[in-house]
Formats: sequence, C-alpha cells, structure tokens
Amino acid sequence: MFDYEACLRACARGEQRALRQLYEQDSSRLLGVALRIVREKALAEDIVHDAFINIWRGAGSFDPSRGSARGWVFSVTRHLALNVVRNHYREVPLGDEYEQVAATDTVEFSTRSGQVHTCLEQLDPTRRTCILHAYVDGFSHSEIARKLDAPLVTVKAWIKRSLAALRECMA
Amino acid sequence: MSNPLDELAGEYVLGTLPGEQRAEVEQRLQHDAELRAAVDAWEQRLLPLTALAEPVPPSAELWRRIERHTASARTPWWNLLAVWRSLAGAGMVTKLVLAALLLTRPPVLEPSFVVVLVAPQSQAPGWVIQASNDQQIQLIPLGVMDVPGDKALQFWTKGDGWQGPVSLGLVKPGQTLSVPLDQLPPLTQNQLFELTLEDSQGSPTGKPTGPIQAIGRAVKVL
Repeated sequence: MFDYEACLRACARGEQRALRQLYEQDSSRLLGVALRIVREKALAEDIVHDAFINIWRGAGSFDPSRGSARGWVFSVTRHLALNVVRNHYREVPLGDEYEQVAATDTVEFSTRSGQVHTCLEQLDPTRRTCILHAYVDGFSHSEIARKLDAPLVTVKAWIKRSLAALRECMA
Repeated sequence: MSNPLDELAGEYVLGTLPGEQRAEVEQRLQHDAELRAAVDAWEQRLLPLTALAEPVPPSAELWRRIERHTASARTPWWNLLAVWRSLAGAGMVTKLVLAALLLTRPPVLEPSFVVVLVAPQSQAPGWVIQASNDQQIQLIPLGVMDVPGDKALQFWTKGDGWQGPVSLGLVKPGQTLSVPLDQLPPLTQNQLFELTLEDSQGSPTGKPTGPIQAIGRAVKVL
C-alpha cells in the first residue's frame, strides 16, 4: 500500500523523490481523471503538471483530519480541471465518441464494490447517468440536459435529489 | 431534509456549479469551517468514482516539466500554466470593466493600452492600468484592497521573453499611482502585470515571493 500521508510529509520537507514516487503511483490515474473532464491530452497534462506543483507546495498545509491524503491529491487535480472547463467554453466540443460513456459506465460500476457504487445502483438509471456525467465527465447542467434531451430544470432537480439520496444512503 | 449548505457543497464537488459560484465557494472555503466540512465529506463520498476514468499514461516530458518546476524550493508563478490560462478567461471581465470605465470616467488622454488586474481565484477586477503613452502608466484602484499592517502590495511587470518580472514599486491600496516606464522596454501587447503581497519593505529577493492579489495582461485599445 502506498502511504500517501508519509509521501506528503516528505514533500513538505522538500524531498523531491517523494513527489516522484507519487507521480509513479498516480500520474496515469490523475491524467485519466483530468482528460475525461477537459478532453484534450495536452491540456490534461498541463493540469496534472499544475496539480503536482500545487501538491508540492501545499503538502505542508495538508490536514489529515479533513480527509484522506489520496483523496486530497485527486481533489486538487479534479478541481483544477473543473475550473478550466467552467471558466471557459470547451475547446473540444462534446462529440460522438463520448456518446457511449454512460452505458459503459453503468455496466462498469455495477461490478465495483464500495458504498457509493451500491448507493448509485439504487438510483433511477437516468439520474445515475446525470451524476456520473457530472462527476466523471465534468458536464455542466446544460451539457447533461442536452445529452439526455431533458429540460434543464428537470436535470437540476434530478441532480439535487440524487445528491440528497446518495447522502442519505451513505449516512 | 436537504440543507442549502450541503447542497452547495455537493454540487461543488460534483462539478456542476457555474464558474462564478465555484470561485465563491473556493473563497468561502478559506474561512467557513462548516462549508469546508461539508465539502470534505462530499469529496470522500464521491472519491471512488474517480476510478471510472480510464488511466492514461502521460508523455515522458510531463515529469521532466514537473521536476524542473519543483527543483527549487518555490515555483515562480509565471511558470504556472493555470495562471496564464485563467488570464485568457479574464477577457470577458476585462471587456465589462472597460465598458464601465469608459462610461464613468471623464476622458483623459486616449489610452493606448489598458490592463484590468483581476483576483486570480475569483477573477474579480481590482485595479485598472491605463497607459496614455509608452513611457508612463497609471494604476487606478477600483476599490480598496485589505492589506495586513506588516505587509505591502508590490507591483510587477513582465514582457514576453523577459527573464522574470521587474518590480515597479510598492503600491498603497486605494490610491492611484503613476509609474514611469523609462527604465524598461516599451509597453507591448500581452505584457503581464501583477500585484503581490510582500513584506512591508517589498520583496527581499527582488522577485515576487508572496501570493498574487491581482493579475492581468496589456490589451491594446483603439
């Protein structure tokens, strides 16, 4: 098991080798997360680059009482990617290659363990698709509405209720 | 059963908040412990979903770039790609502020360059720079920025191809400042300007060391 907390402590001491180990451990996964959101490899690599700089600089102020170190590493990367797509129009339009994403995800996650997956399975499939498009693909409300050919207000309500249901299910 | 704070935290982590609201949440997270706890809880709940994104091997160049930028203790802000990208996004804000400025300020000399300095996170405009010729610029505050008593705002610029930023001196919040540029090459399109928070005497290293308070690039106006 990779010890994320120890890795961050070493980064905070300025040990670049620890950052390298984190890179070897997770750069592919982090790039995958960023790429699903921004859809352009060069841009996704820029985001992972900035994420590693932020992790390097922020390692000293990481507070383990707020959550897992691994979670923090992923959150830093995801939010950088989300900021890019929320603050700018998407440079790569949502194309056909992503049309099947929802279907494959549905199959894929049902085979996964973990509470969030169990709870997602209890949602209506359309609402589950909303949550996955938002979290994994970084879709906005209106992008989801377009994709599902549903009214924007409906999508917003679905998401709100799905989050409440997830929260209750995972309590 | 839903509470607005938890809804906000959930949609922030889910990613569905629009850009301005995301920036607001990020600002609030710095001091709002309740919101922070709600966001942390959502991060943990949804984290397993990151596994649904297929891993993608990065190019060999990526680690070399990270290594270069973490070799010294601190990465200068001008090497951070997201900063440059966020400036591109400030275009709309720039246009709005420019429009407001042209309507509300008495015409002085026709400015040839204008820069709107925005806060890096919220992109809220804080200062405007106008240059009526290539030799002198005016830094005009759009409000009063809070600066801790033992700190000062330092004003910097960097043109394309320069080694690093050059200090244009210390700035008092809320005051208009005229700065001669005769020691520097002429103002150019895209030239970068920023204000950082430094020690009261200014940066000890001669380069920016503190957090960026406002940042923007020169835009030529007709």
